[in-house]
Amino acid sequence: MRDNAKGGALTEVTFFVLLSVVTPRHGYAIMQFVEERTGGRLVLGAGTLYGALSALEEKGWIAPAGEGGGRKRVYRITQAGRQAAERELERLRQVAAAAEEILKEGQA
Amino acid sequence: MSRGYYRYFGPFLKAQERWLNRMADRGLRLAEVGKLRYAFTPCPPGQVRYCVEFVGQKSREEQDRYGCFLEELGYRVFFRSVNLDFYLGKIRLRPWADRGGRWAVSGGSYGREILIVEKENDGAPFQLHTTWADRAAAWGVLRRPWLFLAAFLGIMALAVGSPALGGLALAALIPAVYYQIRLARDRRRAQTEEW
Repeated sequence: MRDNAKGGALTEVTFFVLLSVVTPRHGYAIMQFVEERTGGRLVLGAGTLYGALSALEEKGWIAPAGEGGGRKRVYRITQAGRQAAERELERLRQVAAAAEEILKEGQA
Repeated sequence: MSRGYYRYFGPFLKAQERWLNRMADRGLRLAEVGKLRYAFTPCPPGQVRYCVEFVGQKSREEQDRYGCFLEELGYRVFFRSVNLDFYLGKIRLRPWADRGGRWAVSGGSYGREILIVEKENDGAPFQLHTTWADRAAAWGVLRRPWLFLAAFLGIMALAVGSPALGGLALAALIPAVYYQIRLARDRRRAQTEEW
């Protein structure tokens, strides 16, 4: 997982994995959720997902939430993870607003 | 009823992966893996796909965790040795390994460097790593042992004045250079695209 620690910008993979466990989910459900919510644009490889979950758990942004059906490990977002997701959403809003303004200026 | 095939791929993971997928296209599914023997059972042609990954840098605990995670996703996993289980004194030093994997002193922590992952064929390409950064990191993991081997053989060649060891050191550089080229390519793409 490569994030700009100084600016706090998350990669899209990290952000979507974080969002996917706002409702507790296991690994396969996370992969399906991300693919569905991005319209098939982002398809997570198992190795990438494993790395993202390990890193997020290490940061304390997600935590195990017991086992689901078939003894699959379920993850949930923590309070710190929710705050990180909200910060990222605000950052993306600012990026989108700035980009829109710049492109409009370019058209004028 | 399983059928056995004898192959040695050594550290050439992509060759092993291509062969397993050709076998799957012929209607043969991996049932068991030994030192040289691959046992297959019949299945509908193209039913499964394979991906092969090097996990020798991970500790035994981390390998098990990763394997369990993949199985939770519905994949089947097979661990095997990269080098026919030949060890000197049953102790292995892996300076390229992650923390927890540097010293391998028990049968549980070596002989499991290669991970074969099988999934049901859903028509989508089978890639364990999505982002260019992850793919570059995977090439880096493959490159490291060859660099260390080349350096070790090179130093030995100089120390004892052996052209044969020097030749082996140069030979060990070939896969290192190949993986470096792939790593550099994926790193360049990672500078502007996440995947």
